[in-house]
Amino acid sequence: MRRFVSQGGFWVGALAAIAVALPFLVSSTFAIDIFIRVLLFAFIGVAWNLMGGYAKQLSLGHAAYFGLGAYTSTILLIRYDVSPWIGMLAGGIVAMLASLPIGALCFRLRGPYFAIATIATAQVLMLLFLKFRDFAWGAEGTTMPNLGDAPLMMQFDGKAPYYYVVLVLLAVGLAITYWIERSWMGYYLVAVGEDEDAAEAIGVDALQIKRNIYLVSAFLTALAGTFYVQYIYFIDPNTAFSFNVSVEAALVSIVGGIGTLWGPVIGTVLLEGTSALLQSWLGGGHGGVQLTVYSLILIAVILYRPAGLIGILTAAYDRVIAGTKRLNKVPLDD
Amino acid sequence: MPMLTTIAQAVVNGLLIGGIYALVSIGVTLIFGVVKIVNFAQGEFVMIGMYITFFLATSFGIDPLIALVISMLALFFIGVLLQHFLISRVLELGDMPQIFLTFALSLLLVNIALLLFTANYRTVQTAYSETAIHIGAINVPLAKLIAFAVAMLLSGLLWMFLHGTDLGKAMRAAAQNRDVAMLMGINPDRVYCVAVGVALALAGAAGSLLMPFYPAYPLVGQIFVLMAFVAVVLGTLGNITGALIASLMMGVAESLGIQFVGADSGLIVVFVMLLLTLALRPNGLFGGWSR
Repeated sequence: MRRFVSQGGFWVGALAAIAVALPFLVSSTFAIDIFIRVLLFAFIGVAWNLMGGYAKQLSLGHAAYFGLGAYTSTILLIRYDVSPWIGMLAGGIVAMLASLPIGALCFRLRGPYFAIATIATAQVLMLLFLKFRDFAWGAEGTTMPNLGDAPLMMQFDGKAPYYYVVLVLLAVGLAITYWIERSWMGYYLVAVGEDEDAAEAIGVDALQIKRNIYLVSAFLTALAGTFYVQYIYFIDPNTAFSFNVSVEAALVSIVGGIGTLWGPVIGTVLLEGTSALLQSWLGGGHGGVQLTVYSLILIAVILYRPAGLIGILTAAYDRVIAGTKRLNKVPLDD
Repeated sequence: MPMLTTIAQAVVNGLLIGGIYALVSIGVTLIFGVVKIVNFAQGEFVMIGMYITFFLATSFGIDPLIALVISMLALFFIGVLLQHFLISRVLELGDMPQIFLTFALSLLLVNIALLLFTANYRTVQTAYSETAIHIGAINVPLAKLIAFAVAMLLSGLLWMFLHGTDLGKAMRAAAQNRDVAMLMGINPDRVYCVAVGVALALAGAAGSLLMPFYPAYPLVGQIFVLMAFVAVVLGTLGNITGALIASLMMGVAESLGIQFVGADSGLIVVFVMLLLTLALRPNGLFGGWSR
């Protein structure tokens, strides 16, 4: 068992080393831009997965928290000169506060109707921000003030620093998931996700558990929102509350492996990788190709691999390990 | 215009479009009641009905009201195939596959439409597109009135089918208790295929009826499916009469919202209605559904 853990640790260490070295190995800004997208959506997927994967509360409205994070930091930056680093945390707290009433409403419903109610909440927020013309620039949105190379204001020269910011976010998200997975809360979450009524019957406060994990999930999603608008230097309601954010958060987790630590990362690498390849083959301007391919992959995964593609990878890994063990004939015990 | 006339006009407009919402909601609630899944792609079948009608009208000069028959038949068969080859495979699985299969289908259909037809708005002009009937100071566009009348007629026919034919009764039996229905010799697969087929045919009819006064574009279904979801929750899940009444109410609420709050406020009114219903009457206005 200890062998297995240390092997897992080795792979994570190797992966982390590659991830840190990547900007030194690849100089093309196009490629780094894709890596940033991959890390960002993997992070949003990780945040969604806490809620959708472990507790099986299939939200299609995580754009609500992405947008609240984005708008909180932007309003603090432009109206009050507050650094987006602080704005990011403030956005996370606003998202947590918002998740309480939203959860109170949506948790009354289960399954598909929970998903629909979450779509409605994200849409209501988008429509409200379209109306807030004086306060939040309405439909036109606004660009971020360009401060040049200002790390304290989350603005950098070149793309590599952004890459490291989002890499740290992803690492934090994975660490939180790893920790929750192994805590009592992780077991309660899985119990609620498997069968809410049965969990209640053995004394789990399902509503409390769902509320708690929604707080964490909303907080992390809001951090992604702040990062994204700082990275693209622009905000408007359609970007910040984009339905595509809600969709992709769920998609990457499901394709990779719902309710698993690495599922969202694997899913994002696959989906964003496919999308980048398609873009370089077909060039821009083919509206619809990317999502057509995404939805075909999603349908194939649901029909043939509902547990996600992570199952294929772990099976292959186990075969390799079993193979080397047979070859080396090393005794397993310490 | 005096206040009362303005309100009356808004109510009439809302009722007329509410008839179209009803066709979509009845389809959603029928599939939910019988097959026990929520079809996230229902709006996209309205979109397909609109494009079928558009191409029949522009290529062959067929009037949308005749194209309605063709689009209903085409969508009935698509529905049977959809149930037989796709939905049937996830019925025994949990929420995730059931939600995301039809959700993926919705994404797929929107984006294929985007690839094939681009995002451009397509419209069909008919002889009656611009005609209106005046009742007192109230203006009733003929195309919308026809759409409303046909929608109500189709809803009535569905009600007669469900209550007056063996297949319809079998469908209601399967909706109430699938296992007992099977013991009574009802073939659930056949019933499910017909239910999804009929639901999609209604969406196709909605598409054809919309075409004389509403543009077709790849994302057009989203508005209708959101309205339908709200109406189905309001009208109590699986309840066809409830969905019909709730759809008409939503049409009126949206229309009053547009009239008195602002042109882009229709959807806010509808979503707020949904959230209020969830807060106050999570089982819908018409009864004690619980899962």
